[in-house]
Amino acid sequence: MASWSVLAALLGAVLAAPPAAVDEQASNPPGILISRQLAEARGLGLGDVVRLGPQPAGERARPFRVTGVYEPVPDPFRLTAERLEIRVHLPDLIELTVAADDPGAAESVTRVNVALRDPADADRFAGDLEAKLPGVSVWPSSGSWSGADPFTVLERFHVAVASVTMIGSAAFLLSLMVMRSEERRQNAGILRLLGFTRPRILLEVFLEGLLIAAAGTAFGLLLAVAVEGLFNRFFQWHYDTALVFVHVTPGIAVKCVAIAVPLGIFAGVVASWTLLRRDIMTLLRR
Amino acid sequence: MTSFGFAWRSLTRQPARALLGVTGVSVVGALLFDMLLLSGGLAVSFRDLLDGLGFDVRVTANQWVPSRGPLIGDGAGVLAKLRGLREVQDVTLLRFGQAEVVLDDDPDFSANFMGIRGRARKSWTVIEGQDLPEQDDPSIPSILVNRSLADKARLSAGDLLRLRGTCEPGAAAMPTTDFRVAGIVAFRFEAAGHHDSVTGLDAFLRACEPRDPDAATLFLVASHAEAGPAATVRAIRQALPDLHAYTNQQFVDRMQVTDFSYFRQISFALSTITLFFAFLLIATLLTVSVNQRLGEVAALRALGFRRRRIIADLLWESALFVGAGGLVALPLGGLIAGRLDAILREMPGIPAGLHFFVFQPRVVAEYTVLLAVTGVLAAAYPIYLAARLPITATLRREVVS
Repeated sequence: MASWSVLAALLGAVLAAPPAAVDEQASNPPGILISRQLAEARGLGLGDVVRLGPQPAGERARPFRVTGVYEPVPDPFRLTAERLEIRVHLPDLIELTVAADDPGAAESVTRVNVALRDPADADRFAGDLEAKLPGVSVWPSSGSWSGADPFTVLERFHVAVASVTMIGSAAFLLSLMVMRSEERRQNAGILRLLGFTRPRILLEVFLEGLLIAAAGTAFGLLLAVAVEGLFNRFFQWHYDTALVFVHVTPGIAVKCVAIAVPLGIFAGVVASWTLLRRDIMTLLRR
Repeated sequence: MTSFGFAWRSLTRQPARALLGVTGVSVVGALLFDMLLLSGGLAVSFRDLLDGLGFDVRVTANQWVPSRGPLIGDGAGVLAKLRGLREVQDVTLLRFGQAEVVLDDDPDFSANFMGIRGRARKSWTVIEGQDLPEQDDPSIPSILVNRSLADKARLSAGDLLRLRGTCEPGAAAMPTTDFRVAGIVAFRFEAAGHHDSVTGLDAFLRACEPRDPDAATLFLVASHAEAGPAATVRAIRQALPDLHAYTNQQFVDRMQVTDFSYFRQISFALSTITLFFAFLLIATLLTVSVNQRLGEVAALRALGFRRRRIIADLLWESALFVGAGGLVALPLGGLIAGRLDAILREMPGIPAGLHFFVFQPRVVAEYTVLLAVTGVLAAAYPIYLAARLPITATLRREVVS
């Protein structure tokens, strides 16, 4: 059965009167569904009778019975909106909102959702329908945006912040590696005296860097997975939504490994090379 | 030698290492500075935009942002009541809608269409032509369009513009209405790429023929200076209890907990992570540095340097790290903020005058305090190591090794 989602806020004084005070004009009021958020905000439950009206002052209000409480579909575009929503049957909504002197309005709808046999046809279908029905906007539900997609913009913002963080981390890593190399300056000199060639020592540094970078990356990923739940729970609580905010996908993990491991190795090798290119006596401080 | 001089020499003895450390602190500091700018930037910028309109109170049907909420019934009656309040200096009625711009040679396109009754004050700036006239020609009413609309429809001041009002979804297609473009303007809340237009309320209603012609989307109110916005809001709430009146600051406060809250949360989370990262960076660098100089510290102690002096040396070293990095971070943060701001402003529907990162002196003070506290905390462990160093055992170990 067709139903409409209506914001309680748009229906003005809808819930101004507590259920007990509702005028029992209708013995069997029509059923409505209310969102969990609305039920919690107004202390409503199954079987309660509320009055809905199109005007804030409550004119033309009619009683309805709450027959269900639903969890609204998470919608990133309504992240910050309070999901105070009611679903009523279409005929009830028309009766409630259409003015008596404007019968034509009863034939109007805001939106029609269409499920195609072949979803891949959505763009072509939208184009055809728009050409055949001037004045009607048609767009695929998963289609492209006419302007910039806010989530693409947000993603670019996060990537930019991550890039800056990575530059800071790289500087941090390099300075640590330089310190570590300095600490092992004498060891490097002794190894050179024992006959180890520069490439051989660099290979060791490379392998050591690889191990450290791999361990660091693994720890970082585990930490990200561990705090993923914390972040999600906090934001889901804050916005009262079931949306997932942070999700460490395999793709993201691979990207992290692909950046962090070479960066770690590079920092180790560069720091060691600045030391190893010196002659043996300098390394031994002689 | 003073503690400062000693710390300076310790750092400059290994310039590459010091440079890398300072680079790390400056990048992290820049990010921290940016996140602090972001935490309140949107609210400051939005408040500036609102105040710039010249109205300090707005009245809507409910607590929603005007374009998302229901209309206010009996607009003329509300307008009269508002004008009758002694706290009110000026009131403007606005009605928002949509229109199709009808072109002879090119496809029609959609534009925002607004009707106004009352003075616009500073809602827009005329950049070509003239403002809306006090007395309009009802046969061909005047309209103002923004540059984006003018360019797309190839319009100049004085040209004719044909519009078809599409103010109500589902309504039957309206006949077209001709307007004369009085001027091209820059709207204060204009979003990049959006096509915006405004005309007098009567012309708007004629083009749209809405079901409820007496309704209004929003009232903008300018308070008398002696009354102030808070008193005006109280008076409006008393006179019109069914409507929602709020000051610009109240509107911004509400946006802070709704629409802007995501950026506040993100900036808080990233500021915390950045501070922790800065702490880790400075603490690690100083600890490794102290560990490398244990013999030196023990020798200084043996020479008669007091524990307090060693602590002062390390604190100065930390201060130099944080101070140099923190100073470089300010211009660097400004540059990064400009880029991040440009990215975020690509979001659809964001007014061109709205910024996410706004410089405020308060932010510099907060940034300085946070970085200073981080520097002191980060120096705590290396200071503990150096202060508790057993002099004899350390010197012996140094000699033996």
